[in-house]
Amino acid sequence: MNDDQLILYYYDDGLSRADRRRIAAAIEADEQLAERYAALCRELDSLSASDNECVAPAHVVQRMHDTIDRAGRPVPVADVPPPHRFSLPAFAWGAAVTAALAIGIGIGIFVTRAPTVPLEDAPVMAATQDRGAFTRGVQVFFQDAHADLVSMPVADASDRSRLITNIIEQNRLFERAAAQNDAQDLARVLRAFEPILQRLAADDITPAEAEALRSQLAFELNVMLTKISRGSSNETHTT
Amino acid sequence: MKSRTRIFFVLLALMTAANGWTQDDAGASDDSEALKLAALEALIAAPPERALPLATKVLAGNHSKEVKARALFVLSQIDDPAAQQQLIRTAEQNGGELQAEAIRMVGIGGNEAALARLAGLYRSGDEATRRAVLEAYMIAGDVDGVFEIARNTESEADFEHAVNMLAAMGAHDELRQLRATAGLSSSLINAYGISGDVDSLLELVRDGSNPEQQAQAIQALAIAGTGKGEDVTSILRDAYRNSDTQVVRDAALQGLIIVGDDETMLQLYRTSDSAAEKRQLMQALAATGSDRILEIIDEALAEQ
Repeated sequence: MNDDQLILYYYDDGLSRADRRRIAAAIEADEQLAERYAALCRELDSLSASDNECVAPAHVVQRMHDTIDRAGRPVPVADVPPPHRFSLPAFAWGAAVTAALAIGIGIGIFVTRAPTVPLEDAPVMAATQDRGAFTRGVQVFFQDAHADLVSMPVADASDRSRLITNIIEQNRLFERAAAQNDAQDLARVLRAFEPILQRLAADDITPAEAEALRSQLAFELNVMLTKISRGSSNETHTT
Repeated sequence: MKSRTRIFFVLLALMTAANGWTQDDAGASDDSEALKLAALEALIAAPPERALPLATKVLAGNHSKEVKARALFVLSQIDDPAAQQQLIRTAEQNGGELQAEAIRMVGIGGNEAALARLAGLYRSGDEATRRAVLEAYMIAGDVDGVFEIARNTESEADFEHAVNMLAAMGAHDELRQLRATAGLSSSLINAYGISGDVDSLLELVRDGSNPEQQAQAIQALAIAGTGKGEDVTSILRDAYRNSDTQVVRDAALQGLIIVGDDETMLQLYRTSDSAAEKRQLMQALAATGSDRILEIIDEALAEQ
C-alpha cells in the first residue's frame, strides 16, 4: 500500500467505501503499516493547522460515493416497467451519467468546487505554511504518477481506466491544494492534466491513442518534476 | 559560472535522458525522436533566456508534430513574456496542426493578455477550436472568459458546453445571471446540481409551474444534497406525496434511491393503497440494495 492511498484515506476523499474498509483492515492487521500511517497522520496533522481550509463537505463526498456505487450496481431488467413509468435501467443510466457529470466535466469536480456549506466550515486539505512539505508532496505525486503511467497496460482498457481514475483523484487533491497554497502556476498545470487523464481513462480509445496520451502525460510530468526540483533546489540555496 | 553550472546539468540531464528514458516512455517512434523528446524535457532545467530560443527553434524547425507539441509545453513553463507571445502566435495560426495544443498551453501559461486574445479565436474558430478555447479558460480558471462565451453565443450546444464548464468551476453567480438573461434551461438546472447551488435547486424544487424542470431539479438536489441543515429526504418525500404529476413523483422516488433512504420508501409503501404504486416502491427499494425489502416481500406474500 503506498502513501498516496494512505493520504487519501487520511483525508477521507477519493476512495470508495470498499477501498476505505480495505485500508482500515490492512492498518489494523499490519503493525508496520499502522506505524507508517501514524507517522503520516502526524505529518498531515501538522499541515492542517492553518485556518484557511476548503474542501468538499463530508456529506457531499459521501453522497457522491453512494451515487456512484449505486449507479454501478447491476440492475435487474426482467421486471422493467413500461415506458413513461419508473424505469430502473433508465434511472441507473441517468444516475451514471449524472454521477459522471458530478465527478467532473473536463475538470468538473463537483466535490471540489461545490461546497454547500461555508468554506470555513469545511474541513480537510489545508493550505500549509510549510511550502516545502507541499512541494515534496507534489513531487512524490508526479513521480508516482509517472511510474504508474510507464508501467500501465495500455491495451487493457479496464486496467487502464482503474489506474487512471486513481491518478485523477489524486490530481484533483493536489490541484485543490495548489490553489489553496497560492501556487496558481501549478494548479493550472494540474487542471490541464485532467482532460488528458479523462481521455486516457475512456474505454473507447484505441491503443495507439492511449499510447499517445500516455507519452504526452509522461513528458509533461517529467518536465514539471524537473521544474519543481529546480525551484526547490534554488529555494534551498537561497535560504 | 552559475550559468555554466546550469548548462552542465542540462547536458548531464540530456545524457541521462538519452540513456535512460528512451525505453521507459513509449511513444517515440525511433531513437532520434526519443532523444529529441528527452532533450526537450531537460530544456526546462536551463535558464529561461537559453531555453526560450531553443524551444522556439524547435517550433520553427522540421520536426514531428509530437516534438513540436512538447516544445509548446516547455514554452508554457518558461517564465518569460516572450514565451507566452510565442504560444499565442502559434494558437492564432488558423488551421495549424498545433493550434489546439497551443491554445491549451495559453491556458496553462495563464497570461491575461494572451487569454483575452483567445476570445477572438473562439468567435472565428471551428468547433474543435471553440472547445479548445473553453478548455483553456477552464485550465486558467478564467470564469469571466467562459461566462462571456455563454452569454454571447447563439449556439445551443456551445451554450451548454460553456454552462457545464461554469458549473465545473463552481461559478454560482454567473450561472444565476445566465438564468436571468437566457432563461431557465435543462443545462442550467444540471449546472446548478453540478456546482452545488442548493439555493437555486430548492427554489426550482418548490416551484410546480413546470413539472419537467421541477423533476430535473429534484434529481439534481438528491445528488447535491442540501448541506444546510435541511433534510433532503423530507424534501423528496414531500415532493412525492404532494405532487399530482407523475414525472415529479418519479423523480422524487429516484431521488430517494440516490439518497438511499429505505426507511422513507418503506413508509411510503405501507401508506400507499395503490398496487401499482406499491410495486414501483418495491422496485425502488430493491434498487437501493436494502435488506428492508425482505420485510415488504414478507408482507406482500402474507397478504396473498
